[in-house]
Amino acid sequence: MSHFTVFLKRDCATCQAVAPVIAELRARGLALIAWVQDDPGFYASLGAEDDTSLRASFLADVETVPTVVRDDGAKAEGWDRAAWEELTGQPDLGPGLPPFQPGCGSKTREPFVHEALAARFGPALLAARAIPLGAWDDDAEACFDRGWSDGLPVVPPTDARILRMLAGTKRLPNEIVGSIPPNLVPCTVEKVAINAVMAGCRPEYMPVLLAALEAALEPVFTLHGVTCSTCFSAPVIVVNGPIARRIGMNSGANALGQGNRANATIGRALNLIIRNVGGAVPGGIDQATLGGPHKVGFCFAEAEDDPTWQPLAQARGIAPGRSAVTLFQGEGIQGVIDWRSRTADELARSLALSLLAVGHWKLCEFFNAILVLAPEHHAIFRNAGWGRGEVEGALRAALRRPGRDLVAGAGGVGEGMATARAEDMVDKFWPEGLLVVRAGGAAGLYSAICAGWTGGRFRHESQPVTREIVA
Amino acid sequence: MSDGITLRDPTAEASGAMRPRVAPPASLAGVTVALLDIGKMRGDEFIDRLAMLLTERAIATRRFRKPTNTRTAPVETLQEIATTCSAVVIALSDCGSCTSCSTHDLNDLDRRGIPGVNVITEAFVEAFAGQTRAIGFAGASVVVAHPVQNRTTVELHAMAEAALPGVLAALGVVAAE
Repeated sequence: MSHFTVFLKRDCATCQAVAPVIAELRARGLALIAWVQDDPGFYASLGAEDDTSLRASFLADVETVPTVVRDDGAKAEGWDRAAWEELTGQPDLGPGLPPFQPGCGSKTREPFVHEALAARFGPALLAARAIPLGAWDDDAEACFDRGWSDGLPVVPPTDARILRMLAGTKRLPNEIVGSIPPNLVPCTVEKVAINAVMAGCRPEYMPVLLAALEAALEPVFTLHGVTCSTCFSAPVIVVNGPIARRIGMNSGANALGQGNRANATIGRALNLIIRNVGGAVPGGIDQATLGGPHKVGFCFAEAEDDPTWQPLAQARGIAPGRSAVTLFQGEGIQGVIDWRSRTADELARSLALSLLAVGHWKLCEFFNAILVLAPEHHAIFRNAGWGRGEVEGALRAALRRPGRDLVAGAGGVGEGMATARAEDMVDKFWPEGLLVVRAGGAAGLYSAICAGWTGGRFRHESQPVTREIVA
Repeated sequence: MSDGITLRDPTAEASGAMRPRVAPPASLAGVTVALLDIGKMRGDEFIDRLAMLLTERAIATRRFRKPTNTRTAPVETLQEIATTCSAVVIALSDCGSCTSCSTHDLNDLDRRGIPGVNVITEAFVEAFAGQTRAIGFAGASVVVAHPVQNRTTVELHAMAEAALPGVLAALGVVAAE
């Protein structure tokens, strides 16, 4: 003879309506257990069991209440007379009820509940070392104490939060993403998720974070050097494509600043991985002389709301309509203010003046850079009919100078190019070394420069990396 | 209160779950070692002798005293140590509350970049280990005999002499004697 299990809530009119049916099935001699998710006392007359821990409901993978489950796994959800009669083999059930009445959501399916239950009652999916805290320990302070923080508070990485984060990717927790410098330690998707939790990410950011990490780990990105260098450098992330809007990234007002969760936490998570898994502790293996606030995390989306402007990722080979990250070895920004240029030529020459200061005014073919055009500056180019190619071409021309002004010692300044370059016309950047991006609020005749690192002088050895984001 | 919370380690797990202590200075020459009296009775006599022994070795010391051993040190005291000294010896913990509080002080100073050592009695070795585990901090300790309160001053001075090699080792001084 079959056994049956029923899942109920007090807070569900359909559950209350089927209570007499359950009593009737018992009276007809069926073996039946009723689990109640919220108030077992309410169904005391059914001899209901207490499932306020939701353990039984979770293990039975209940989605709806009422649900009646036969011991062979067959089940009926909500009140459906025909289905209940077929399942139980009992005729004439619930004569006073309509033939069909939908049920309510199981408490196990409420926001945040499922992963909390998975952490308590589910299979052991996580492999990272468990660190139990004492009853009186402060979880936020515990994370500081263990050296897991960049100096700001982190979200304590509990199993429920980690499982929720892992739901943001189809990749398995034990999959190795790559080896993280400087200690070159293999990093699993689970460790990525733990650090994403701590950084404050939402699960839907995981595909962006994983793509950013993989881009950073491509050898030509030289993450090892970027991380350990005395230079200011850290990975800067530019996000392109539909995912930026899907996850609510900011490419508009204050795009390079604070206030947007995705912008702030994706960049932070990448740096926490480098710190916690890779071992790059500032002042330790991270030997940055000065560093900068961008080392907490620097991530933003390009504004793609002007169809005349080719997004960065497309310029770097990603198909239209696809999402991508571009990783750049950068530092904080230098703002460029030009309120007066009225023509595209004027503005290109003006922006070039500020770009010459990247790294050092006399050092050329030495640094890469990102130039972020805010919409009002970009509009001057657009209104002249200029697209990406024209802007980049005009900047390149304006960034070319006589070598005699740039060699070491010229102008009474010891820093500079090799004296052999004195007779050359010298470009400030490698032809591919200036990444022009469009972002920012509607108002403001500004642009911003994000300078690259000294490794950029090795043209083919240290380059920005663009990588498509896949789910 | 985070009753029963368990976290997952975000690191490579290449080392223990404990944060290592700050490395002691390369040399104690020219730096000042803070001697933090936790405020428990008789500890001052132990520290008197320890100060003398360090002075004999040309190591500059500066005395600090907590108002009570039953609480962590006032922030002002910790700030003063962190800004004027390069290492710290905390003494003398011979009870549960003083061991717990002094271990937190050791951790707090370590996070301020001041390496130190906690002098505890043999009865509180486990309490110290448990507290450092809970904080996740691989703090250093030197163990002296228990009990303390019924000793003569001469005996307390002898305890300081016995503790000296351990204290010096924890502060990075290679034994030369």
